[in-house]
Amino acid sequence: MDTLSDTLSDTTWDVIIDGTGVSQSLLALALSRSGKKVLHMDSNQYYGGSDAAFSLDEAQEWAEKVNKDTHGLSFKDASILKHDTSSLEDPSISSKLASSRAYTLSLSPYFLYARSQLMSALVSSKVFRQLEFMAVGSWWIYAPEQPDSKNGEGAENVLYRVPGNREDVFAATHISMKSKRTLMRLLRHITKPNEDEASNEDEDMSMPLNEYLASKFSVPEELHNPLLSLSLSQLSQQDTSASYAVPRIQRHLSSIGHLGPGFGAVIAKYGGGAEILQAACRASAVGGGVYALDTRIEDCLWRTGSEYSEHRFLLKLANEGSVQAKYMFSSMSDNFSKESSTPVVEVARSISVVSGTFPSLFPIAVEGAPVPATAVLMFPGDMLGSPESPPVYLQVHSSDTGECPHQQSVIYCSVALAGPEGQALIESATDRLIQAEGLPASVLWSLRYTHSGSLSNGEPRRLTVGDGVPDLYMFPPSSLDLAFEDDTLDLVKEAWKKVVGDEVDDADFMMFDDRDGTSDQ
Amino acid sequence: MSESASANAPKPSSSVKLVLLGEAAVGKSSLVLRFVNNDFQENKEPTIGAAFLTQKCSLPTRTIKFEIWDTAGQERFASLAPMYYRNAQAALVVYDVTKPSSLTKAKHWVAELQRQASPGIVIALVGNKLDLTNDGGDVSGATGTAQSESESAQDGDEGAGEEDEVQDAVSGDARKVSTREATGYAEEEGLLFFETSAKTGTNVVDVFTAIANAIPESSLKTGRGTGAGTGQTALGGRSAEDSRVNLGDRNAATAKEGCAC
Repeated sequence: MDTLSDTLSDTTWDVIIDGTGVSQSLLALALSRSGKKVLHMDSNQYYGGSDAAFSLDEAQEWAEKVNKDTHGLSFKDASILKHDTSSLEDPSISSKLASSRAYTLSLSPYFLYARSQLMSALVSSKVFRQLEFMAVGSWWIYAPEQPDSKNGEGAENVLYRVPGNREDVFAATHISMKSKRTLMRLLRHITKPNEDEASNEDEDMSMPLNEYLASKFSVPEELHNPLLSLSLSQLSQQDTSASYAVPRIQRHLSSIGHLGPGFGAVIAKYGGGAEILQAACRASAVGGGVYALDTRIEDCLWRTGSEYSEHRFLLKLANEGSVQAKYMFSSMSDNFSKESSTPVVEVARSISVVSGTFPSLFPIAVEGAPVPATAVLMFPGDMLGSPESPPVYLQVHSSDTGECPHQQSVIYCSVALAGPEGQALIESATDRLIQAEGLPASVLWSLRYTHSGSLSNGEPRRLTVGDGVPDLYMFPPSSLDLAFEDDTLDLVKEAWKKVVGDEVDDADFMMFDDRDGTSDQ
Repeated sequence: MSESASANAPKPSSSVKLVLLGEAAVGKSSLVLRFVNNDFQENKEPTIGAAFLTQKCSLPTRTIKFEIWDTAGQERFASLAPMYYRNAQAALVVYDVTKPSSLTKAKHWVAELQRQASPGIVIALVGNKLDLTNDGGDVSGATGTAQSESESAQDGDEGAGEEDEVQDAVSGDARKVSTREATGYAEEEGLLFFETSAKTGTNVVDVFTAIANAIPESSLKTGRGTGAGTGQTALGGRSAEDSRVNLGDRNAATAKEGCAC
């Protein structure tokens, strides 16, 4: 093959990966650095698929495409609202939308826990060198009728901070002494599960979280929502099992302090996962992977003859002729969709650009901690007048995330209730936050959409093998979780193993040396 | 080499992200290899290797540390990611003086930079493979800056730009793009302009020195963090540095306890 030609026609590859979501991008990186010839393509003109991040103009284009394309499985019902602020009395800079490219808005906003496989992989693969990470700060619960809330300005009067460690628990003013004692006991149990394993095995973890908390630890109800929020469960207390929530609360607590004082999770600057996958693709290209955006597979042929044993796949590409490959990876939401082993759910989401900042949401937890760039807010359904509804999660991103101009913020909302009902809850939560902060802030621009994918339910997701096509593997639908789920990396490793087999030691997965010139001196 | 070993007192040092653009096989990586390692490899494989290379460039009053980002081939099928352009303060757009279509492609990349990169980016248009032309061995020839005189070009090259416009279309010469044509275009777009040979080294250091000189002092920041995130947009109020998580110190921090409970 002429590696310099600007055409893909009649080229042959070890692996073709279709789609540039975060899983596929990490796989491309792992394979290219294991010496495989990788062609990595995407039918879109942008990286990331459902993990993409957009400027305002790109978001507009995307929304139009989503509504036109009824075959797209991941998104529907996208709408953009622009709010005219020209009538404001004091139209300062921050009260106007900046240029389209001043924004990087993420379709799937999630953060990374410090103790997670992805974090370790980003470090061992040296991909982190191309990224900047910002701290995820405090967790907040919306509870407007806190008994001892003081009269003052700021969102902290209707939101209270979820204690993340022992000092926080002691310092919390809104928790009774009795509650503090039970909370300490619970936290001790959760963070040191191995100390009394015998009793652990007896635990019935299938019961709902609230029952578990009440029956096993007599945790008062006022603490159920805070604990639910640490698990990031998008279901209500009744629908969240202890087996789901407890390991995630543990993940939260054990991550705090791991990468530095006062925080347990980080996001990549300039779009979170979208930035991570771009860095992974770049690192894959540095390792020899070839990239082709805007390249669609028109037809895929799997050939059985023995003469094809090294490249059974013959793919016809739109505008690019044909390419051959031995292995092919795609995703369920793409061309090869069929019923998935992973249940697909729909959530309502919105992205709002707000003309103001929320300084009270970003306290520095302990001395020496970095200034948080994002905060996580949970609005329980009953606090929004909808007791049957799952909680609404808001991620407030300051301009330190690089996603919006200074003096503005981006609020990402998600609720596991699709359609107008979910969007109404989201709007209500956003309005209440802005009112609570008491600033003349308003929503300048918002994008609403329905996102379908998988919500982690404790069962690990698996690759799907093509029907009658043994070398075709499909990734399950992307995750809707607010924190990057570790099973994604297991999937990538499983996929990598399918190709490298025993050629490469398992321990070498995502372990790369610094390339020349990349190390810090 | 551009690196000065003679500095007595440390000069202020700033990192500058520089991105490479241009058609395949025009010699982008070779130019960088010449600048960074003073080395040249004939028939080099298409770029596989480093995510970015660093090289210092010493100016009279300050030191510029270039972080040079290679396309890693992602430009071939229009697949450069937004992160490539992000916060780039300088760009080297390279074409091959023996291949007219590569100048066309270079113009495309200049337009792309104007669309995607930061507004203040310094762009240098570079015609490479000067060794294949009759100007090849002449170190003082075929260079100049298309920007105003006040840009203070490198030593000994002032005015050289005008001299060689007569060199166009010489027989037995592989040159297919005239200096005049490229200079004209560079002037129109306000680009620095050089003709170079990565093979012989002609003008290579000069390109980087000219870029270093052309970067406004106001856009420079001293020091650098762990990542490649140089020249991040300055944020008012609390600085972005305060909010950045330093993974470089990770090993030192692992001993920290997790939850205090």
